[in-house]
Amino acid sequence: MIEAYFVHLAILVVIYLILALSLQLALGYTGLINLGHIAFFAIGAYVSALLTLNGMPFVIAILIAGVVSAFFGFLLSIPTNKLKGDYLALATLAFTFVVYAVTLNWYSLTRGPLGLSGIPKPSILGISFSSNSSFLILTILIAIVTYFVIKKITESPFGKVLESTRDNELATRNLGKSTFKIKSTALATSAFFAGIAGCLYASYITYIDPSSFTIMQLIPILCIVIIGGLASLNGTVLATIVLILLPEPLRFLGFPSSVVGPMRQIVYALILLLILIYKPKGFFGKVELE
Amino acid sequence: MSSIALQLLINGLIAGAIYALVASGFSLIYSTNKFIHFAHGATIAFSAYILYFLFSVLGLNFGVAVVLSILFASLLGFAMNFLVYKQLRKKKTSSVILLIASVGLLILLESLILIFFGADVKSIGLIKVSKGMEFLGAIITPMQVTIIISSLVLLVGLFLFMKKTKLGKAMRAVSDNKDVAEIVGISSEKIYTWSFIIGSAIAGIAGILIGLEQNLVPTMGTNLIIKGFAAAIIGGIGSVYGAVLGAFLLGIVENFGIWYLPSGYKDAIAFILLFIFLLFRPQGILGIKRRAEK
Repeated sequence: MIEAYFVHLAILVVIYLILALSLQLALGYTGLINLGHIAFFAIGAYVSALLTLNGMPFVIAILIAGVVSAFFGFLLSIPTNKLKGDYLALATLAFTFVVYAVTLNWYSLTRGPLGLSGIPKPSILGISFSSNSSFLILTILIAIVTYFVIKKITESPFGKVLESTRDNELATRNLGKSTFKIKSTALATSAFFAGIAGCLYASYITYIDPSSFTIMQLIPILCIVIIGGLASLNGTVLATIVLILLPEPLRFLGFPSSVVGPMRQIVYALILLLILIYKPKGFFGKVELE
Repeated sequence: MSSIALQLLINGLIAGAIYALVASGFSLIYSTNKFIHFAHGATIAFSAYILYFLFSVLGLNFGVAVVLSILFASLLGFAMNFLVYKQLRKKKTSSVILLIASVGLLILLESLILIFFGADVKSIGLIKVSKGMEFLGAIITPMQVTIIISSLVLLVGLFLFMKKTKLGKAMRAVSDNKDVAEIVGISSEKIYTWSFIIGSAIAGIAGILIGLEQNLVPTMGTNLIIKGFAAAIIGGIGSVYGAVLGAFLLGIVENFGIWYLPSGYKDAIAFILLFIFLLFRPQGILGIKRRAEK
């Protein structure tokens, strides 16, 4: 029983890790104040859920989920290319609300507030990942791949261009780089991995509805990325583990479950405020949010 | 005009009056502080819940409960400014950080409402559901008439306050040019504090009127601030009048929009308008050009 609970927690940590790492690429390395990350998570979850419910094999579904999310990331980057700072934050936040409104209202596709249930657990080449421990192994493998791909990107010459776009966009353009191409590639890649995380979430919980993808869910991830520190992948890993596990003891203090949910949010919101006031660089951050 | 169109127009005006209440306080805070205070929505929701608690649960006199709710809203705004925003300003943080902090505050306050009052729908129940009056073939309830009239009175009051009083003038000075205002002896920190106190009191009034007209749900603050914020952007975010104009425009467009679209998409109309304005005219209809692009 206790073991099952820890496996469950570990799966959540790893899914959040993929999500946080992908946000780190856009927010930490490229400096895009993207508050629409949850929307890509939602798109990945819905796309893969609809595909697997219609009999599509998991491997293809997860890739399509990533690609569709990446496509929306690219689409979002076109109009928001010239926006900076709080205007970019707001446009991406509005994107979250638009995706939410669509999942809530496109009843024939998403079944609206009823959500999609009975999403199949993954099975790859005849190997079923329906038990939680095997699912954990699968998510860890995907997280490792994500970590190294993002690490590779950030260490490559392209990664340096990302950071120079973040630090001084004008200077980067003067060196003959198309910052639009750079930013949209970064946003699309970041969205790709968020879509993968969404697919894993949907196939693990086996049920999704629009309320799983609101700005409430944005706070923990934002918290993780800022606390771990911008442009620090190891900081993100550490922060994910600490922050996802931190509110868990609340469950054992005997509060009713209707109180535990909001208390988790309070914990995250307070941590976010404290870190912004007292340690705006996070613990391992290389740059400050501007 | 057909009676359907008239009904939609009236519904649009009612929605517009509600959005104007949200947008005017929000815009007052924005114009002086120059950052987006999302938690304004939570102030509105909290004051509606406080009224519910004082009037419907404790059974206090309605007038007393109303005054206490507005005071509470003011105090909440003051506290948020003092405990969070002021500390961040001391470190000269950018408006993006203040925006992220305000999203954090919004979630914090909404979660507190959930813990104190629960997730189920509440209703203040001051006025028994009354049959609407007929007005040229369209239906409007007395409460809705009250909302439109009170919001107009409040907006005129705000206009006079900004134009005639010393504090209002000082607020406009800080809003136009903070550095010059400081040179002539206006303390910008003091003006920030006052803008939070007054802006949040308006939020309190908005919360009360909305709470009387609609049911209370913990997430109402988020929904309201998105609408109020969209209205402020559409009309011109630096200007309180622009926000009011944008609010009525948004209310009317939304209600006429559902003539063509399924009613579930009513909320999406606001986001789409918001998106279009952010991209093509970020300064809004009335706003002075502000640098959206550096």
